[in-house]
Amino acid sequence: MKIELTKEWCLQMARMEIDAGADIEIGAGPVAADPTIRYSESAMEHVPDPNIAFGRFVRLMRRHHHLTLEKLAEDADVEITELVEIEDDSRHKPEPRTVYQLAKRFQVPTTKLLQLAGLSAPKDARLVHEAIRFAARSDPVEELSENERAALEAFVSVLSELQ
Amino acid sequence: MNVEISSAFLLDVATGQALEAELWDAITERQLADWEGEWTPALMQAIQNLNRAGIERRFWPQSRHWDWRRKADAFKGLLSKPGFSVMCQDMTQGMMIVDTLSAARLSSQTGKPLVYIEFLENAPWNRKGLVLAEPRFQGVGSLLMRAAIELSLNEDFKGRIGLHSLPQSDTWYANTCGMTDLGVDAQKEGLRYFEMTPEQSQAFINKGNQP
Repeated sequence: MKIELTKEWCLQMARMEIDAGADIEIGAGPVAADPTIRYSESAMEHVPDPNIAFGRFVRLMRRHHHLTLEKLAEDADVEITELVEIEDDSRHKPEPRTVYQLAKRFQVPTTKLLQLAGLSAPKDARLVHEAIRFAARSDPVEELSENERAALEAFVSVLSELQ
Repeated sequence: MNVEISSAFLLDVATGQALEAELWDAITERQLADWEGEWTPALMQAIQNLNRAGIERRFWPQSRHWDWRRKADAFKGLLSKPGFSVMCQDMTQGMMIVDTLSAARLSSQTGKPLVYIEFLENAPWNRKGLVLAEPRFQGVGSLLMRAAIELSLNEDFKGRIGLHSLPQSDTWYANTCGMTDLGVDAQKEGLRYFEMTPEQSQAFINKGNQP
């Protein structure tokens, strides 16, 4: 099957791959299987750890910007029900689009927020370490304190610094 | 095997230059030899580095167990399971196997035939941070997606395609490709299932034609 592909089309799409975040992997297919072999268990690794840091980050950033859930949902053009789950249920896996929109609204690197949300593999072990530290320093129940504000600002700096 | 080769281009990330490439409508011994001799050693070295860096296994390349020779052998001769590959600088840069006997699940397209992408993989050196700090070439994924769409059009499936995304690729399919996310498929190892309607496939093609 012959396909007509212009140079312009190929390069435009290649640049869009870069714009999307060059560290986004492009792949598809079941992770375990060869079609000739039936595996008795999935090769997908169980992910036991909840996205505590991601939900905490979203909550604090929202409060830092003095936004209600409704206002944030409206500003970021995301479903409010998902925002509630992100903040309240650390086991919730967010939609990729939601994370993308939140990154735009909070002006933090999309790729890093995707990694924090568990939607993409962290390429820097420091992000995981800093996320845990941030989650440990921030308390979701209390009002945004000076310490929470300092922790949030420090973590935002880390997200922006990491290559 | 009668192979049709289409001219294409990839972007050399380091130089920003366009490089001549080829889109093959097959996976032949040549591609499999590259997979065995180049992809696999590079991938194994990358995994060793990840392991030594203490990165958890759940973040390792999720296609690391794939055996392209077994996949190709299993589907050899099946007209409903064509393969595609991307070549550049005399090396295989990407491979894909599709299925033409699947049907759409999206409510507006339910039951209509589509091209289902069984497996799609980019060469290890084209994935940022895996082998090289920056990808060597960009554009491989787009070429393979275009091939799937063109096959769908050729089969009179109107450009409909579907796939189960590797988790690390969810954002690409959702945002850049503009596919519809039908959610987690418990029957497919919890992977997210995406589909592209005829309109979405035309929009994907049009993206590359924008000035």
